[in-house]
Amino acid sequence: MATVEYEGVTKRFGSTVAVDDFSLSIGDGEFVVLVGPSGSGKTTALRILAGLESLSEGRVRIDGREVNDVSPKHRDVAMVFQDYALYPQMTVRQNLAFSMRIRKVPAEDIRRRVEETAGMLGLDDLLGRKPRELSGGQRQRVALGRALVREPKVFLMDEPLSNLDAQLRTQTRGEIKRLQQQVGITTVYVTHDQVEAMTMGDRIVVMNRGVIEQIGDPASVYNEPANVFVAGFIGSPPMTFATFSSRSDDGRLRLSRGEAAFEVDGPDVPAEVIVGVRPEHARLWEEDGGGLVGPLQGTVQFAENIGREEFVGVEIAPETRFVVEVAAGDVALGETVRFGFRPDTIHLFDPETRRLLRKA
Amino acid sequence: MISRAERAANYAILVVFAAIALFPVIGILITAIQPPGTLTAGFQMPKGVSFANFTQAWDQGHFSTYLRSSAVVTVSVVTLATFLSILSGYAFGTMQFRGSKVLFYVFLLGIMVPEEAFIVPLYYDFRTLHLTDTYLALILPQTAQSVAFGTFWMRAYFRSTPPSLAEAARIDGASTWTALWRILVPNGRPAILTMMVLVFMWTWNEFLLPLVMVSNESLRTAPLGLAFFQGQHVAQFTLLAAGAVIVAAPVVVVYVFLQRHFIRGMLSGAVKG
Repeated sequence: MATVEYEGVTKRFGSTVAVDDFSLSIGDGEFVVLVGPSGSGKTTALRILAGLESLSEGRVRIDGREVNDVSPKHRDVAMVFQDYALYPQMTVRQNLAFSMRIRKVPAEDIRRRVEETAGMLGLDDLLGRKPRELSGGQRQRVALGRALVREPKVFLMDEPLSNLDAQLRTQTRGEIKRLQQQVGITTVYVTHDQVEAMTMGDRIVVMNRGVIEQIGDPASVYNEPANVFVAGFIGSPPMTFATFSSRSDDGRLRLSRGEAAFEVDGPDVPAEVIVGVRPEHARLWEEDGGGLVGPLQGTVQFAENIGREEFVGVEIAPETRFVVEVAAGDVALGETVRFGFRPDTIHLFDPETRRLLRKA
Repeated sequence: MISRAERAANYAILVVFAAIALFPVIGILITAIQPPGTLTAGFQMPKGVSFANFTQAWDQGHFSTYLRSSAVVTVSVVTLATFLSILSGYAFGTMQFRGSKVLFYVFLLGIMVPEEAFIVPLYYDFRTLHLTDTYLALILPQTAQSVAFGTFWMRAYFRSTPPSLAEAARIDGASTWTALWRILVPNGRPAILTMMVLVFMWTWNEFLLPLVMVSNESLRTAPLGLAFFQGQHVAQFTLLAAGAVIVAAPVVVVYVFLQRHFIRGMLSGAVKG
């Protein structure tokens, strides 16, 4: 168990900057998820912590000790790889035991710990098998076991669920989270899947192009996204955006785009703002307004049915669409509908800096 | 799906080519068991069976000495070349270092330059070093040539293995040396055995180098023994055939013994695992 600190870490590959001035403090026993699209530098940041990648600038500390020049084997970290990287010629038992055999742990202790770990992960019956004789889910558990058995200071996980099918992924997600809480080992988890990030992380770090866009607990990143990128990346289906002109009038703010316009409370904002609203916060307009902000009007252009609900894209002006959540079957394609936004869910972003100005 | 006609055609073509490949081999085998002195150029109906050729060829070709030399040279070359090729292939395949590209092309020269081109200067170099007429004169050049090929071969293997395998071992506490010998080498057994079979074959069959480098009777290798049967005025076909069988037998045995791995090794390069 240990703390982890990144301080101004930068990694360059030739002229490309993979990770740029990355600073992050991780508490003892914390589960931190690095999330971002491919090429965002999240895996590089993880590999730097593992010692598999050198850093160009900055410092990395594990438990207060600087590890910049410490080789992976002396960092006392364990890693679960995306492709599991199980040793193909060894049985499950040998795979689990390898790290301890290298460290010359007494055979009796190895046997005990391998069996404890196998029990914890339900691998007891598979100990004699080779990796190629296992299913994808079983391989994944062996990879987890190989990390757990060591009782390292830090767990590193690089997209460990991305090779599993959707159902198994959901199940394993919960299992990893439960195991981590049980053993209480500091964990850094990398994923491109924002659902994984939201459900697993104590805190999540949203990355883009090598830079940290936002650090926070899942709820605050979801509710108070720092900028347009985070707002669009976190949440499914994603937030929809449109640029509106704004005019302040007597404490009221009038936002308009072509014919479409609505008013919100609150102070002044720049003459143009990016308005972002999550689909689940946009609803069909009712006679009495239903407490919504609006109304806006447009034609239904597409619909995505996910069972009980349906998300429909409504075009309010040329090239300007909001996605609205409706009950399945409520509206038809091509129909003209009116809708509004739940108050305090309308995000206003500065079009220059693309940062969140405030919510309305 | 393959239709019946197509399948039949496939087999017909394969049988024809197999026959073309086997024809000379069978010719040699048949000639080798003809009674000594039979005047045959290879492909006549057998006139009886006799194994006398083998004993005569064994003595006349000095095979009891020559096969021992061949074994010493081949085992040394295969062992040295395998060890060194694994190391150099590992470096070229998994590590980034300054000048690795240029250096790799230098290694490739070893495959590209034919032996005939350097054997004469090499002879003089070895004579200056007083190494002619020694086992080293046979082992060192052939090891160098085999390492050129072996580096090329092992580099391809190491590049095809997922880097995460070695990385997992390093995080598990292994040094690069341990990761190589305990994870990557056992995992690459088919590729390594295939390389060993090829190097064994080439070294065993080498003719020019021992012909030039050694004159000492006790150091000469088996392929040289065959020359005894083909003088300017004599051509003892039955003895030559028996000698050829004696020289080829170890290669065939090694190949048959390792063929399962050999085929897997050949395929592992072609099909991404």
